[in-house]
Amino acid sequence: MSDASVLVDDDEETKGKRTRPSWEEPPTQIGLAAKGVILAIALLAILFPLWIVVATSLSDAETISRTGGLVIIPDGISLDAYRELLSGGQVANAMWISVCITVIGTLFSMTTSVLAAYGLSRMNSLWHRPLLMTLLLTMFFGGAGLIPSYLLIQTLGLMNSYAAIILPMAVNVFNILVLRAFFMNIGTELIDSARIDGAGEFRILWQIVLPLSRAVLAVIALFYAVGYWGNYFAAFIYITEQDKLPLQNVLQQIVVRGERPMGMSAAIGTGQIPSIAVQTAVMVLALIPVAVLSPFVQKHFKKGMLIGAVKG
Amino acid sequence: MSQSTVPRSPKREGGGGPASPPPKHRKPGALRAGGPRRDGPPRARGGTEAWRHRLRRDYPLILMTLPVIGLLVVFAYIPIAGNVIAFQFFSPYAGDGFFQSMANSAWVGFEHFQTMVNDRYFWDAVENTLVFSMLQLLFYFPVPIALALLINSILHNKVRAWAQAVLYLPHFFSWVLVITVFQQIFGGAGLIAQVMRDNGWGDGFDLMTDPGFFKWLITFQVIWKDAGWGIIVFLAALSMVNQELYESAAVDGANRWRRIWHITLPALRPVIALLLVLQVGNMLTVGMEQFLIQRTAVGVGASEVLDTYVWDRGIANHQFSYAAAVGIVKGIFSLVLVLAANRVAHAMGEQGVYKKQ
Amino acid sequence: MPLLAACGSGESGGGGEGRSTEEDLKSILPTYRQSDTAIDPDIPSENGSSPGYTTFIPTAELGVSVPTPKGNGGTFTAMTPLWGTPPRAGNEYWTAMDEAIGVKMNWQTQDGNTYGEKLGAVLAGNDIPDLVCVPSWELGGQIPQAISSRFADLGEYLSGDKVLDYPNLAAIPTAAWQASVFGGALRGLPMPGAPIGGVIPYYRQDVFEENGWSPPTDPQEFIDFAKDVTSAKNRVWACEDMKWSSFVIHGVLPEKPNYFAMVDGKLVNRYETDAFLEALEWTRKLYDAGVVHPDAVAVQGDSKNRFTAGESLMFNDGDGTWHNLVAEQQAANSDFRMNAFDFFGADGDPVLWRANGANIWTFVNKTLSPDRIREALEIANFCAAPYGTIEQRMRGYGVEDVHYTIENGVQVRTPLGEEQVAPETYVFICSPGSFVAYPDTPQMVEDLTNWQKRMLPFAQEPLFFGRQVQEPDRFANLADRFEALEDDVVRGNQSISDMQDAVAEWRRNGGDQLRDWYQELLDSEASA
Repeated sequence: MSDASVLVDDDEETKGKRTRPSWEEPPTQIGLAAKGVILAIALLAILFPLWIVVATSLSDAETISRTGGLVIIPDGISLDAYRELLSGGQVANAMWISVCITVIGTLFSMTTSVLAAYGLSRMNSLWHRPLLMTLLLTMFFGGAGLIPSYLLIQTLGLMNSYAAIILPMAVNVFNILVLRAFFMNIGTELIDSARIDGAGEFRILWQIVLPLSRAVLAVIALFYAVGYWGNYFAAFIYITEQDKLPLQNVLQQIVVRGERPMGMSAAIGTGQIPSIAVQTAVMVLALIPVAVLSPFVQKHFKKGMLIGAVKG
Repeated sequence: MSQSTVPRSPKREGGGGPASPPPKHRKPGALRAGGPRRDGPPRARGGTEAWRHRLRRDYPLILMTLPVIGLLVVFAYIPIAGNVIAFQFFSPYAGDGFFQSMANSAWVGFEHFQTMVNDRYFWDAVENTLVFSMLQLLFYFPVPIALALLINSILHNKVRAWAQAVLYLPHFFSWVLVITVFQQIFGGAGLIAQVMRDNGWGDGFDLMTDPGFFKWLITFQVIWKDAGWGIIVFLAALSMVNQELYESAAVDGANRWRRIWHITLPALRPVIALLLVLQVGNMLTVGMEQFLIQRTAVGVGASEVLDTYVWDRGIANHQFSYAAAVGIVKGIFSLVLVLAANRVAHAMGEQGVYKKQ
Repeated sequence: MPLLAACGSGESGGGGEGRSTEEDLKSILPTYRQSDTAIDPDIPSENGSSPGYTTFIPTAELGVSVPTPKGNGGTFTAMTPLWGTPPRAGNEYWTAMDEAIGVKMNWQTQDGNTYGEKLGAVLAGNDIPDLVCVPSWELGGQIPQAISSRFADLGEYLSGDKVLDYPNLAAIPTAAWQASVFGGALRGLPMPGAPIGGVIPYYRQDVFEENGWSPPTDPQEFIDFAKDVTSAKNRVWACEDMKWSSFVIHGVLPEKPNYFAMVDGKLVNRYETDAFLEALEWTRKLYDAGVVHPDAVAVQGDSKNRFTAGESLMFNDGDGTWHNLVAEQQAANSDFRMNAFDFFGADGDPVLWRANGANIWTFVNKTLSPDRIREALEIANFCAAPYGTIEQRMRGYGVEDVHYTIENGVQVRTPLGEEQVAPETYVFICSPGSFVAYPDTPQMVEDLTNWQKRMLPFAQEPLFFGRQVQEPDRFANLADRFEALEDDVVRGNQSISDMQDAVAEWRRNGGDQLRDWYQELLDSEASA
């Protein structure tokens, strides 16, 4: 299966404008306006709901009761919901769990994936073809199915352990192929001269290949991190202990199922903190790392990298 | 199976071909230190001697792949064997641990497959799955293409970069987050219901619990989450279109729309074909979390898809064998779909997912 | 163990099929011995109703049934359902209970509304908690097999006079123990229940009286009334999901194994009865009429919160809810009053099917050593302390001056008590025989016992009353789909004819065989 990845050198300037080619007719006023409107609608459709969520989470009880729930224009600002959520208790705990899963999982995935991508980057190294096929085949049949995987986790005794979340999703063959394509693209001269100096493969990888690959590493790390951070299903079936659940599962319980977070019953029940503020605050907590990290990394996939992905 | 589409890549898979004129020939030292490498002739020729040599040379590379290979063997290959329980009446309570339970469980042949064919809920799930897939094909699929053309036509770089940053963002959200965002807008206590209530325009607005609307709801959710990210592949393809083509077309008097029709879209054709093949191949997999999370709100009848059906039968209700049987059937049909879609792509002169042999 | 084996066709799974005979039970059941610490109720039991206690007993006068902590400091993991918001681990209430019992409890509470999903996953694994609570309505699928194969036979410790080592367990009524025999062995620690009261139709008495309404007395009147009082604009809806009340109103048979009735010499299943479809049809009308709270339609949030907030005026729940709501509202909203209205029948008198002696059990992991099992039984013994003991006061109210204070001669929960004690956990491990004792809410005690007394004349025993029946594996998942389908049908997402198709399919896929199997069970018992 092709990874459909496209490595392009999109090294355009981020400042200023591209100039319109002389042969191109200038746009009509209507055309320009239509384009602007469509783009504005698309961007608003994404940003407006997020704005409401953030605004509501930061509003005080009075503002929320005046608007009848969600807040579009913030008035009285209050950090109570966050203070309460992060002062310990279920949400803070879940947040910590999710951070740990994401950090450890991403490190683990990156280590194994980078090693494998490099190990498979020489076309006629020994066993290159069968090893590569072992990876590629899994993309074809798309896994063994839910039930056998579930029974495997049970048999390995991994229920209620975070290994049950990390290990099965640690390898993403698509990501490895992207890394591999990139490594194959690095000029051989540096590598060869390092070899002359007697450097082993691990050292070449560490000292030459990786420093040249920062951008692609950042992108792939983001893909892995987003996967771990956003995972709901693995914890849903493998973690049966309530206080071990990661943030997404707690978020689902609080917003979709309308439950109150553990230990916060009193503050919400008596109306000190409106439950809509708590709900939206948990949503913001789930959103922040992603919203902060991904545009930062986006520079990298702009600057020269990988793009692509059918199902990154 | 093709390798990556790597523009400007000097190397081609299938190495050692005449296509690689390696500069290192000019470096005599290369031979001394690394031995004959990519370009060397002793490929599987010299019997064990050469093999040993290659092993000595390449064992670090092999070692490097082992962690990933190990993970795949354990979590992707070994479980395949576990599917044999589809031909059993497997009960986890028949013994201690999986193997004892399996040994004590009765073999029932194809009974579960028969049950499946006779189960109306199975067919409901198949129907839902196909309907959702078709809707995505019709309504999701064109959106990223259109958006990509739009973004591509923006000349102002800063605007472009910002627009892209915003459009990509929802892709990185989890399904739970996406659904909760939708709930705050379209739910019974959401923004629209709130505005309607305040203005006395009627009450009880709630799109999140309307089973009839559900198929549209999930299509909108998919568009919201992934259409922005989907443009990235088309932007890449667009950036590789030879600008001179546009120029000569313009000189020949082709207007904006004709240029799009005759130059841009044909340039996107391989990518579109590839994505279509993938989409069709994934027809039976419309996602799990999106449906699991909204299951209670709209009812099982409206939201059951094959994947949630397998979860419900197997994990929630303990019919492991039956659910495994359903999983096998789904896997086989998915494979058939990919191969068939690929055939069609080949017939249309496109590359598809793997190369024509 | 002369269980019915003839019908099983060698399928996998543990435990004997059928049910224990009266004869078997004699050697299995624990001896009954009334508690020394028991005190006379203010409202005596009548016709099987629960005894009621309305007077407060000062702490100094409480009896003592467990003089010293009997545990050895062992740690136990326990999985129980929890309705409401779980308190933090290590909270003052759990810690105090641990110290009094002499163990360390590690609670793994699960949302009661989705308990079944987690239960299956936990039991299929090899990491089963030491104590696992299973409510009777989660006995679907292969859970009965799981119980027989994963949990300890407690007969060794409790049968006959052995139970006398645990005086509070010995005081649990025999009917409760009888319903705790699974797969031919005493496995469950029972939470005894009243014979009726699993589903009680509650209404907001304060709101009704204020408006001069009286509760409806027949099905049509209910719908008309509900339409009248619903005002979505003011965020007031007549009711929550009333499906379970509808089952009672229409006399629908209860769940497995009590779901068969003998009609004209033939066994008929609850799903095949007209009453079942009529009950769904009626509930569907309520949904159609828009009188059900939208969050209930969407299965979101907590119906109790909406009821106390006045957003819905009627809802149904078990009898355990009553006191919690009244006590919780006493401080916040002193006008709050709730009551239960009388069930009416679809035409004439209602039929209330008597519940078994216990419908919720906790099971002990069979991998525990005998010493650990005895220690677990000490936990149960503590939890089963009867009314009027120090232990019961602590289990029900927590620590004085922390979780409750004594005001005007009754105990009143503090906010901490509401947070930590009100979401019950220990009660699921084991409980004394059913009683209603809430001196802090004497009116509620009277209301509940009166409701029982009014309704008990309409109570009937189902055909397979009193004991567990272990069905063969191959029938295990036959009825799994019905509940989801019921919920879709009442919400109008699927039609009544979809349900009829499902019933026809149920018959074809094994329902008829299941009927034969139950018939054979009856025949073999009659000839024995």
